[in-house]
Amino acid sequence: MAAYENPDMLVSCEWVAAHLGDPAVRIVESNEDRALYTQGHIRGAIEIDWQVDLQNQVCRDYIDRAGFEKLCQANGISPDTTVVFYGDKNNWWACYALWVFKLYGHKDCRVMNGGRKRWQLDGREWSTDRVNSLHTQYTAPEQDGSIRAMRDEVLRHQRTSKLLVDVRSPEEYSGARLHMPDYPNEGALRGGHIPGAVNVPWALSCNEDGTFKSAKELEKLYLKDTKLKRRSPTIAYCRIGERSSLTWFVLKYLLGFSNVKNYDGSWMEWGNCVAVPIVQGNAPAGGNAPAAPADLLTPLA
Amino acid sequence: MNSVHSRLDAIIGEYAELDGREKLELLLDFASRLPPLSAEYQARKANEDRRVHECQTPVFLWLETQNNASRLIAEVAPEAPTVKGFVAILAEAIEGRPPEEVLMLPDDILERMGLAEVLGILRARGLRAIVGHVKRSVVRGMTGELA
Repeated sequence: MAAYENPDMLVSCEWVAAHLGDPAVRIVESNEDRALYTQGHIRGAIEIDWQVDLQNQVCRDYIDRAGFEKLCQANGISPDTTVVFYGDKNNWWACYALWVFKLYGHKDCRVMNGGRKRWQLDGREWSTDRVNSLHTQYTAPEQDGSIRAMRDEVLRHQRTSKLLVDVRSPEEYSGARLHMPDYPNEGALRGGHIPGAVNVPWALSCNEDGTFKSAKELEKLYLKDTKLKRRSPTIAYCRIGERSSLTWFVLKYLLGFSNVKNYDGSWMEWGNCVAVPIVQGNAPAGGNAPAAPADLLTPLA
Repeated sequence: MNSVHSRLDAIIGEYAELDGREKLELLLDFASRLPPLSAEYQARKANEDRRVHECQTPVFLWLETQNNASRLIAEVAPEAPTVKGFVAILAEAIEGRPPEEVLMLPDDILERMGLAEVLGILRARGLRAIVGHVKRSVVRGMTGELA
């Protein structure tokens, strides 16, 4: 394969610059650092923040369907709008926002290849204008479970020796590093990885300028250098499911994996779960992973 | 000279009336006032472990005390203006004040500024870790660990 499986999922900075006034297109910025949007954004782009806008502020979950509809309505997004995501850090948060939009079935989502970095390197202009949105109508379907893995599904998945991809750093993967110093609440009680997970740190998917690596390079990284396969069910995870949404995007749209899910519970859930199997060290599976007791999978009465 | 506390109160007062967007604009104002590292500190940065490891973005901090007057010297990557702005606020509040006052830095600065809500709990937690880092630097200075 010489080209991306779904090349239309990516648009260039030129494409975005040519569609700035297009009413059928909404440009959405999502960043690690919120003040970057305030400092300067693409003219007409709105900001959707992963923490404040996309997450439920009480329960550890995303906004519900009604919340998603409200968010789109307030931001001038209709079900047929082409939504183009971009942001800082290799579009990491842009991919996360795109994943949530796909969770609620938004049809036409794209990523501006290279994000803020490429736009800046191209010498394009930034705007500090406040962007007003026309109120739209939006009806969303219920969440699409085909792209989101929950804990019990991951338990079954690893038990049947299916593959996962752990996109954290090698130190987090092996279990050498448990959590960042002074971040006990963002840490986990156990270190290591889910049995069957290969380790491909997320940022390896991207070039220095923030764009995605070529199809050929991505094939080598994911298909030749690991045991991952396009037709095998695959689950991606990281610490809280954000870095892995970029890997999910790469596997699903650029490499054409037919069944890939993001496990947003990720290590913050797995590494704190009682009695789930964990592998430490550099091998995907190992002898030190006790099997989860069968009754762990018993559904609640 | 005003105490660390009263300076922070004044900054928090400035924030009180602003909407979310204006709060971030004011934070960017503070960020732009953080001076670049001098040549001396550039050299020290290469030789000393001053990275704040609690932060995902590169942040380097020195808490210096001379004649009972503290000074926060810092370098924050330009791609992290929120962190840079918050560090600049701490630096302004601390400048010239005794270390005992720095140790009394409150933990709820972001909540009182109304920024915790704008930034979300995870980002606010990251910034709060910087306050803890600054306080630990004071303690290490007092116990002579950083001669």
